[in-house]
Amino acid sequence: MRFYEHEAKSLLAKQAIPVPQSVLVSDAQEARRAAESLGSPVVLKAQVLSGGRMKAGGVKYADTADEAEAATREIMGLEIGGLKTVAILVERRVRVAQEYYLAVTYDPVAKLPVAIFSSAGGIDIEEAAERMPEKVARGNFSSLTPFTDYVVKELIASLNVPGADLSRLTAIASRLAQLFLRYDLTLAEINPLAKLGDGSFVALDAHVDLDDEAIGRQQALLKEMGISPEGREGRPSTAFELEAAAIDRSDHRGVAGRVVEFGGSLGLIIGGGGASLTAFDAVRKYGGNPANYCEIGGNPSVGKVAALTKHILSKPGTDKIAIIMNVVNNTRVDLVARGVIKGVVEAGYDPAEKVAIFRIPGAWEEEGFRILRKYGVEYLDRTASIDQAAKRAVEKTAR
Amino acid sequence: MGSMFIELKIDIDRCRAGQPCRACIESCPVDIFVATDGLAAVVADNQDECTLCDLCLQRCPTEAVTLTKLY
Ligand code: SF4
Ligand code: SF4
Repeated sequence: MRFYEHEAKSLLAKQAIPVPQSVLVSDAQEARRAAESLGSPVVLKAQVLSGGRMKAGGVKYADTADEAEAATREIMGLEIGGLKTVAILVERRVRVAQEYYLAVTYDPVAKLPVAIFSSAGGIDIEEAAERMPEKVARGNFSSLTPFTDYVVKELIASLNVPGADLSRLTAIASRLAQLFLRYDLTLAEINPLAKLGDGSFVALDAHVDLDDEAIGRQQALLKEMGISPEGREGRPSTAFELEAAAIDRSDHRGVAGRVVEFGGSLGLIIGGGGASLTAFDAVRKYGGNPANYCEIGGNPSVGKVAALTKHILSKPGTDKIAIIMNVVNNTRVDLVARGVIKGVVEAGYDPAEKVAIFRIPGAWEEEGFRILRKYGVEYLDRTASIDQAAKRAVEKTAR
Repeated sequence: MGSMFIELKIDIDRCRAGQPCRACIESCPVDIFVATDGLAAVVADNQDECTLCDLCLQRCPTEAVTLTKLY
């Protein structure tokens, strides 16, 4: 769950990380008063849960209270990336001497949190890591043992940051890491982290994501900060996605219906978690155009898989479907095969034609493969990778 | 649509001979059997949910249940 910038900054402030003086406003009059009380110049920033805010005109500078009032009128109605601006953060402008980048996130490869520091702040960090790797340092730390400062100190020192800055930055990075751990965040990013003329530091922009799975146990924090998880899903669900979710809810057994709609020709029914992302990426890599993303797992009932299959095939422009999962042990291959074939037949198609590839090896696969053979469906066993299955599906599907 | 993969049948005479009994109804994990007129009957639309667990076959005292795979 993503936090609005003003929420992210309140969280940082709670951990004693300095942020600019600010007032959250919702109309031009309030912005004028905010500019007067903070003292001009100010910067006005659209509070919106999407990137690209600067480019879309969601950030404006004002030298006077009049200008702040006018800028607010322009920003308030803005939709950025399909999302509404819910409020405006009016901040006192500061004089920046240098910009740094600091973040703590989760490293899925090392399976550990990772702190990332860069002396090139204010820019896209992935781009920076590629273009000037010598200016980006990263280091993993454990989430099981108590956090110690030396992890981030070493990191920052590795970029030859001078002594006085090193201790100030270390303190901020250490607080950020502790914040990340304490509140189950998946991302805590300060970009830019500005060094001011007087040598102090301040978080000019911040991005915080809370692990959705932790919303339950972070109720105290959310309540204290007045944050409600509702209405933060990014773009609103489409009718197609809502119907898929209704199919999933219709039966408590397993998952079959976490769907994201796209505009392509290849319908996907893929195993949840990392395997579904692998399969999806592989389809894209081979030039395929997914009609949707859809996770299944946990042994859904035959009826649920059939209803989902039918639903995916009902989307105009869907030429074929591919069913791809990792080797399964808690989902039965034969039950998924039954569901898929039933759905295809009920939709009025020939499974041999409509199913580009079925690649689910694992529990009860012999039964499953027998069913697939009977209906002439092309399938792959565990000797073929998810990647190969995706390739085959793309080959057989109209673009 | 009826069943495409699994067909279950109950021999009514054998079932009658086994009464009183609800063994298949109570043992099936996916609700394929119901009681009708004091005997067991198959819910046609549910047959494809059969998990092939064999509980109904094992628990029926009169071997009234038969299970056929249609593939
Ligand atoms: S084999 Fe198991 S799932 Fe199938 S009908 Fe019998 S009891 Fe139900
Ligand atoms: S277990 Fe056999 S005898 Fe008992 S109700 Fe079912 S079919 Fe009839």
